[in-house]
Amino acid sequence: MTTQRLNPFADAEARVVSGDETAAYQIDGIRPSLVAYPSSTEQLSEVVTLAARAGLSVTPWGGGTHINMGNPPESLDVVVDLAGHNRVIDYPAADLTATVQAGVTFSELQKTLADEGQWLAIDPPLPDLATVGGVLATGLSGPTKWQYWGPRDVVIGMKIVQADGVVTKSGGQVVKNVSGYDMSRIHIGGLGTLGIIAEVSLKLTPLPRHQVTLVASYDSTEACIGAALDVFHSDIVPLAITAFDKLAVRRISDLDTGRNHTLAVRLGGRPKTLDRQRREILSTLESSGSGAINALAGDDATRLWRSLADFAWDEATRPLLGVRASVTPSACAELVQKLERLTSPDGKGPAVVAHPAHGTVLACWYPDGEESDSAIAKLASAARNVAEKAGGRLVVEHAPIGTKSLVDVWGEPAGPSDLLRRFKNRYDPQRLLNPGRFVGGI
Amino acid sequence: MNGETGLIEELEAAVGADYVVSRSEDLVVYEYDGSVDKAMPAAVVLPSSTYEVSAVVAIAARHGVPVVARGAGTGLSGGAVAEKGGIVLAVTRMNSILEIDTANSLAVVEPGVINLDISHAAAVHGLYFAPDPSSQRACTIGGNVAENSGGPHCLAYGVTTNHVLGVEAVLADGSVHWLGDRTRETVGYDLRGTIIGSEGTLAIVTKIVVRLLKEPEAVRTLLAVYSTIKDASSAVSGIIAAGIVPAALEMMDSLCIEAAEESVHAGYPKGAGAVLLVEVDGLAEAVEEEAAEIESVCQSFNPMEIRTAADPEERARLWAARKGVLGALGRLAPNYYLVDGTIPRTRLLEVLSAIEEISQSVDLPIANLLHAGDGNLHPAVLFDERDTDELRRALHAGGEILKLCVASGGVLSGEHGIGLEKQEYMPLMFSDADMHAMAGLADAFESGGRFNPGKIFPTGHKHEPGSQAGSVSRLGARAYL
Repeated sequence: MTTQRLNPFADAEARVVSGDETAAYQIDGIRPSLVAYPSSTEQLSEVVTLAARAGLSVTPWGGGTHINMGNPPESLDVVVDLAGHNRVIDYPAADLTATVQAGVTFSELQKTLADEGQWLAIDPPLPDLATVGGVLATGLSGPTKWQYWGPRDVVIGMKIVQADGVVTKSGGQVVKNVSGYDMSRIHIGGLGTLGIIAEVSLKLTPLPRHQVTLVASYDSTEACIGAALDVFHSDIVPLAITAFDKLAVRRISDLDTGRNHTLAVRLGGRPKTLDRQRREILSTLESSGSGAINALAGDDATRLWRSLADFAWDEATRPLLGVRASVTPSACAELVQKLERLTSPDGKGPAVVAHPAHGTVLACWYPDGEESDSAIAKLASAARNVAEKAGGRLVVEHAPIGTKSLVDVWGEPAGPSDLLRRFKNRYDPQRLLNPGRFVGGI
Repeated sequence: MNGETGLIEELEAAVGADYVVSRSEDLVVYEYDGSVDKAMPAAVVLPSSTYEVSAVVAIAARHGVPVVARGAGTGLSGGAVAEKGGIVLAVTRMNSILEIDTANSLAVVEPGVINLDISHAAAVHGLYFAPDPSSQRACTIGGNVAENSGGPHCLAYGVTTNHVLGVEAVLADGSVHWLGDRTRETVGYDLRGTIIGSEGTLAIVTKIVVRLLKEPEAVRTLLAVYSTIKDASSAVSGIIAAGIVPAALEMMDSLCIEAAEESVHAGYPKGAGAVLLVEVDGLAEAVEEEAAEIESVCQSFNPMEIRTAADPEERARLWAARKGVLGALGRLAPNYYLVDGTIPRTRLLEVLSAIEEISQSVDLPIANLLHAGDGNLHPAVLFDERDTDELRRALHAGGEILKLCVASGGVLSGEHGIGLEKQEYMPLMFSDADMHAMAGLADAFESGGRFNPGKIFPTGHKHEPGSQAGSVSRLGARAYL
């Protein structure tokens, strides 16, 4: 058949499908022509090389959980599904490092690590589906950031398939390394626009021996986030500090405190240490005017943190409009208050989950009625205004497709945009990797 | 290059005649850093502001001469040596702590601020800056950013890049930009992260936002003394394998112990094969629980002695001996060549044995100083540079150690950087394609040949070795305490 002859992947080792089989890989309603399933870095390299020769655009696909983030694709020829590229390559547990293929799911990796009493101390949304490569490419994480670090702090080495298909590496398998430039920096949070993450070496942490979660409740945003910051400034370094409002509670759990604002503090450590942390945080929370404080452990705590990490991404909480703002901790309370006042045209305010210690605020709107794209875009712009006035940035993570042409989903980058474009020109001159989807239409 | 005509005059107009050094007798001071290499710049300028840095960079661009940023010159890989001549831009006058934002636990500082001064300034608020290179009394935060410096306590708390939220940077065309800011998440490529550890080749950093941590309420320092390196190495692996990440986990072999004892008198027992210095900090309860577990692990590997620092003075003494080893090595030999490879920490013992073999094969003693907890080795080959054959053998031994580190699954440099010193070894770790990809950062920043040229990547050029020990003594032994 002619299509067969035209198929640049005819000789590729990886399975490549077309037609109906690509239906599950839509991005913003656009369907790719081909989907490739490499199961090794070599196969991935071959697919990308062949695509580059044919001038076809390539979009890496992990679990597909965050695939709609960013601008609609300018072109979507080949999706590379990395789900089969999912081996743990090397896990010398006594070194507290692991090297994995990018397609391993987050949960699977954590399970392997937990067998040795270790973990990768970040908790991105939808870990059962999300892959390590996808999590790093989007740069997203959840409430837990060990010592308030994020994805960029846990990567010690990376292997990339470049836009031309060539495989290059940087870093290594050791925890301390300044040999050459750290190329992983431009790929973490780079949305696969400069290269496809193929393999990653990670810095691990011993799992806390014991954990407990304290849940407090407040009447006002100010009191709730104020308490969160009291915890942040105390001698205790919790695993997570997360504030959420009643609208969020309704969607994520049956946790009804009777008050409008809830604060969850996740603590971990050895028995005496945990005891001390618990005492101190209890007294901090009590003196900040909390209602009755509950302690959660075991499955109850796991469920709560899972749903907080999944907020805005799982079935129950996926919004029509969802934004992620990043400000300084001290700007958090005012930002949340202002976001809470922004209502969709049917008069509904957002559900808000905030991680004040790292200044991240998620706000999601769930209007009942049919809302026009322009109304949603207006709401998103208003949210961005509020975040920028608070000295921060805001990314629109969820929005109807029609809205994406009306509001810049990324906003201003944290650096000059012409420099970002020079990166793209240098590493993907043909603009084949995820074209158009990143900041400034990169 | 006739680009230097009128250069000095323009620089003087930009920063003031008092802050341009161009007489050759004055330039000698800037010929070296703490490494084995040296080269003479055309001029040294000492700007006082971002505006002046930008002006100097623009002048250099017009004249087609390179700019090499320099902090305190304590670096050990030749990062601040003006290999291709041009302008050395010393940031030492830009030494203000601009702001300590206690509400957000961060500080905004200029690049010439001395590392330890940040912690001193933050101490009244119960905060400190965690990365603590051994040269922290002398080295600047700007240099730390350039080299992505570590230090003994980065085992638990991470290296410079984990503590820098944003930088104000002057690019090669003289333009000034913030890369990152005070917030923890970024939008766009992590430009901040590309700058940190780029050894001054991409941009010149003029302001830095650093995270501050809470000072720990309790600290405990243990000294575990072993008769053999084997037992000490096993104890290191045992501690990590037990799921403990101490704040610091350092090892010194018998030669280091001897040198340190003679200069600092910390009470390290003579005749020991190796000592471990282990520190835990945090909540009093955490310190108590972790110290007890560490002690029990250490006990199971036949220690000669385990001692806990009884008071802050004893702790300070134990650390002074550790941090002063570099300065003290001068007592054992006129010169040393300090290597900085990192290996997977489970392979300590076999790598240390192989280093001993290298020592025997070149017939030169090698003193081993290690950030053992993260596998970062600092073998120091002792020699006398007046004996040209010893010098040759010392450099050969250094190369052999680097090859050994890479062959053991490790890397060329844990914290000192590649600079001039290790650039010819880069192909041990990286393919041409890898290095071409790295060089792309300089293409994107349009900084190639303009900022600190001739560094990191191999040039095939042989350097005339100077003397690390010489630099250390010039800076004063206290510089590395």
